[in-house]
Amino acid sequence: MELYVLFGTFVFLLLIGTPVAFCLGVASFATVVYLGLPPLVVFQRLNSGISVFALMAIPFFIYAGDLMVRGDIARRLVALAGALIGHLRGGLGQVNIVASVMFGGVSGSAAADASAVGGLMVPQMKERGYGADYAVNITVVSSIIALMLPPSHNLIIYSISAGGRLSIADLFTAGIIPGLLLALSLMVAAWIVARKRGYPTEPFPGLRMLGVLFVSALPGLILVAIIFGGVRSGVFTASESSNIAVVYALFITLFVYRSLPWGEFVAATMGAVRTTAMVLLVIGCAASFAWLLAYLKVPTAIVDFMQGVSDNPILILLMINLALLMLGTFMDMSPLIVITTPIFLPVAQAFGVDPVHFGIILILNLGIGLCTPPVGAVLFVGCAVGRISIWEAVRTIWPFYLAALVTLMLVTYIPALSLWLPAQFR
Amino acid sequence: ACEITLRSSDTHPDGYPTVEAVKHMGALLQDRSDGRICIEVFHSAQLGEERDTIEQTRFGVIDLNRVSMGPFNNLVEQTKVVSLPFIFRSVDHMHRVMDGPIGDEILAAFEPHDLIGLAYFDGGSRSFYNSQRPIESFEDMAGLKIRVMQSDIFVDMMTAMGASATPLPYGEVYSSIQTGVIDGAENNWPSFESSGHYEVAGYYTLNEHLIVPEVLVMSKQSWDGLSADDQALVRQAARDSVPVMREMWAAREKASEDQVRAAGVQIITDIDKTPFIEAMVPVYEKHVTSDELRDLVMRIQATE
Amino acid sequence: MQQRMIGIAGLLGLLARGALWVAGIALVAMTALVAAQVFARYVVGAPLTWTEPTSILLMGWFILLGAAVGTREGYHLSFDVLLMVLPQRIVRVLHSVSDLVVAGFGAGMAWFGFELLTRTWTASMPTLGLPGGVAFIPLTLSGVLIVIFSAERLARRAAGLKTARFGDEVTEE
Ligand code: NA
Ligand code: NA
Repeated sequence: MELYVLFGTFVFLLLIGTPVAFCLGVASFATVVYLGLPPLVVFQRLNSGISVFALMAIPFFIYAGDLMVRGDIARRLVALAGALIGHLRGGLGQVNIVASVMFGGVSGSAAADASAVGGLMVPQMKERGYGADYAVNITVVSSIIALMLPPSHNLIIYSISAGGRLSIADLFTAGIIPGLLLALSLMVAAWIVARKRGYPTEPFPGLRMLGVLFVSALPGLILVAIIFGGVRSGVFTASESSNIAVVYALFITLFVYRSLPWGEFVAATMGAVRTTAMVLLVIGCAASFAWLLAYLKVPTAIVDFMQGVSDNPILILLMINLALLMLGTFMDMSPLIVITTPIFLPVAQAFGVDPVHFGIILILNLGIGLCTPPVGAVLFVGCAVGRISIWEAVRTIWPFYLAALVTLMLVTYIPALSLWLPAQFR
Repeated sequence: ACEITLRSSDTHPDGYPTVEAVKHMGALLQDRSDGRICIEVFHSAQLGEERDTIEQTRFGVIDLNRVSMGPFNNLVEQTKVVSLPFIFRSVDHMHRVMDGPIGDEILAAFEPHDLIGLAYFDGGSRSFYNSQRPIESFEDMAGLKIRVMQSDIFVDMMTAMGASATPLPYGEVYSSIQTGVIDGAENNWPSFESSGHYEVAGYYTLNEHLIVPEVLVMSKQSWDGLSADDQALVRQAARDSVPVMREMWAAREKASEDQVRAAGVQIITDIDKTPFIEAMVPVYEKHVTSDELRDLVMRIQATE
Repeated sequence: MQQRMIGIAGLLGLLARGALWVAGIALVAMTALVAAQVFARYVVGAPLTWTEPTSILLMGWFILLGAAVGTREGYHLSFDVLLMVLPQRIVRVLHSVSDLVVAGFGAGMAWFGFELLTRTWTASMPTLGLPGGVAFIPLTLSGVLIVIFSAERLARRAAGLKTARFGDEVTEE
C-alpha cells in the first residue's frame, strides 16, 4: 500500500504537469505521512541531498559551459571542427558531431552542449540547405557524447550514488572509448542520411586557414588537457576539476579573448544559477524519494525478482538496459542516476559486472533517454534551438537512435571498451 | 508475526561485524520476546550518512542506529573525551573503561538529546598509511598531506603531529592518494583493506593514535513506546551482542591484516609512541574544556 | 484587478531579482573558495579545512533560492505531454492544482525547515563552529518564497494574466 501512495502520487502529479522535483517531494511527503513518520525527514533528506561536496561539479560545469558560450570559446571550437571535417559527406552534420566531441570534452553537460553547439550549428546548417530536422537530430543525439567524455558530472553523481567508493578518475577514463565510439557511429549515420538526401559538403579551407583556426581555438582545447591532466597528475581532485574549468574559462574570456563584458558575465552567472537550481532541486527531492525506496526495501525486492526471472548475465543486462531506457524516456538523468544506481548496481554486480563498466552503461542509457520524448531535456533544447516541434524532430531521428543503440549494445557486451583504458593508467 | 519492528541504520556494508552484531541482537530479541520484537538492519548507509541518521534517530524516524563517536562530539560533549588521541592505552584498556561505570555514565549522557545509549561496539585502532615513505618516527610525519574527517579533534591532532590535515570526501581518497593530491589517510585494518587504499598506499604505521569505541543508540521516542519489560529485553539483547561483535571484529581484523600483508604493504610496528602522546598536550587543552571533562580524562587514565 | 496584479507582480519581481542576486553571489563566492582550496593545497602546500563545509553551505543558498525563483519564472522541468491533448479550460485548472501542490510543499519546507533549524541549533558544525541549524536557513527561506511566488501565479491566472512554464524559453538562457 505504501508503494501505491508513493508511486501513485508521483505519477498523478507528473501527469498533471507539476514540476518533476515537486512530484518527487510531495510523493515522499504523502508516503511519510501515510506511514506515520515525522514529515521533517523529507526535508532533512532534501537538505542533505544537496549538501554533498562532489555535487558542486554540476553548478561548476554548467557555469563553465555558460561562460564558454558567452565568451566565444564554443564558437572557436566549432569553427575549428568545420575546417577539419567539413569536406566529408554531410559536411556540417559531421562538424556538429566533432564539435560535440571537443566541447563535450570540457563541458560535461548534454544540455549545455546541445544549446552551445546546436545554437551555433543549426542556423548555419539551415542556411546551407540542410533540413531543420536533420540539424536538430544530430545536435540532440550527438550531445550524449558530452556525457561520456571526461569530465562528466553525471559520472560523479554515479560514483556518489554507488556509495562513494568508485574512483572518479577511473570512471572518467572509462568513458573515453565509448564516447568516441558513439561519435563514430553517429558520423556513419550522418553520412548515410546525408547521402540519401543529397546534402552538400564544405570546401577544405586549406592548411593555412586550418592553422589559424587551430591557434584561435587552442585556449579552448588546452582546457581539455588541463582538466584531464590535472585530475590524472594529482593537482586537483575530480570534483575540483569542474572549478578549474570555471576559473580557466573566466581567465580566457576576460583576459585572453577579452570577449566577456560585464553584462554577459552577469547573464552567464544567472543562467548557471537557474539551470543548476532546476537540476539540483530535483536531486534533493530525489534523495527523499530514494530514502523511502530504501526504507520500504524496494531495491531488495527488485533484485529478488530479477534473480527469479533469470540467472543469465546477458539477459539480466538486457533487462536492465530496457528498464533504464524506459525510465529514461520519462524522467531526467540526474534523479534517475540517484534512484536507479542503488537498485541496479547490486543486481549487475551480483552477475559479475564491474561497477565502473556499469556506470558507463548507465550513463549512455540515460543519455539516450535525454533525447527521447516525452521527457527529454536535450530534445527540448534542440527543438527550441531549431525552432521545430518535437514531432517534426522525432519523425526522422531513428537512424541516430539506431546508431546510439548499437553503441549501447557494444558497450554493454564488450566490457573492455570501458575497462581497458583505465587499466592502462594503473 | 512481529508486533514491533525496530529499524536500525548502519553505514557499514552487509557482513561487517557491527551489522552482523545488530542482526544477532535482533535474533536474540525475537527469540526472547516469543517473536514479538524484531530488528531490521539497513546497512551500507541506505538511510543516510551518520550525521543524518543521528538526526533521524533523535526525531523518531528510525529506532536504532550504530554510529561512530565522531559525529556526536559536537552534541554530547562527553563523547569528545573518548575520541581523544591516545586516551586509551590499548584496545583492552578501552574495553575495561567502557564496560565499567565510566561507560555507563557516557551512555546516560545521550538521554538529554533524545537518544538512549545501549551498548558500545569496537572500531578497532586507527593508524596512518601513506604512499610516500615509511613513518618510523614522529619526525617522519612532517609535511605529509593526510586526509582527515571533518572533525575538530582530528584536524587539531593532525596539525599537532606536523602533518597537513586535508579534508576530503571519503570517495575521493583512493584516487587522490593514487595521483598524489594527498599522501595518505588513517584508519583501522578492516577499512584500510576494504576501501582498497592499501593498493595505493604502501606504508602502514601501527602508531594506533585513536582507539574509539562506536555506540549503538536508540531513539528516545521509540524507547518510550516500549513497556518496561520490553525495554529491559532490548537493553539486555544489546549488551549480549557485544561479545559476539568483539569476536567477529577480531576475526575480521585478522583477515584484513592477512590480505594487506599478502599484498606487500610495508607494516611498521615498532614505533615510539611517546613523542606522539607528548604532542597531544595542546589538543587536550583545547578540547577538554570543563572540570567535568578533565575529571573524566583523569578517571579513564587511572583505570587499570 | 489586472492593473493591481501587475503592480504586485512588479514588487515580487524585485524580490525574485534580489533572491537571484544573492544566489549569483553565492555561486561566485563558491567558485572563489574552491579555487582557493586548490591553490592553498597545491601551490602554498597548506590545505584549508574550512573551505569545503563553507562552500557546501553556499551551495544550499544558491540552489534553494534559485529554485524558489524557478517557481515564479516557471523554469522547473515538467512533463507536459498529457496537457498537450487536453482542452485549454482543463489545463488551466490543472496548472492551478500544480501551483497549489507546489505552494503546499513550499509551506512544508518553511515549517519543517524551521523545526529542523531549531532542533539542530544546539549541535555545532565541525571545523566552522556555527550552530548546526544554520544549514537549514536557506531551506526555510526558500519555502517562504515558494509559497509567495506560487500564490502570485494563482492570482495572476485568476486575473487572466500569463504564467510562465518550462519550455517557454531555452533553459540555458
Ligand atoms: Na564531458
Ligand atoms: Na552536436
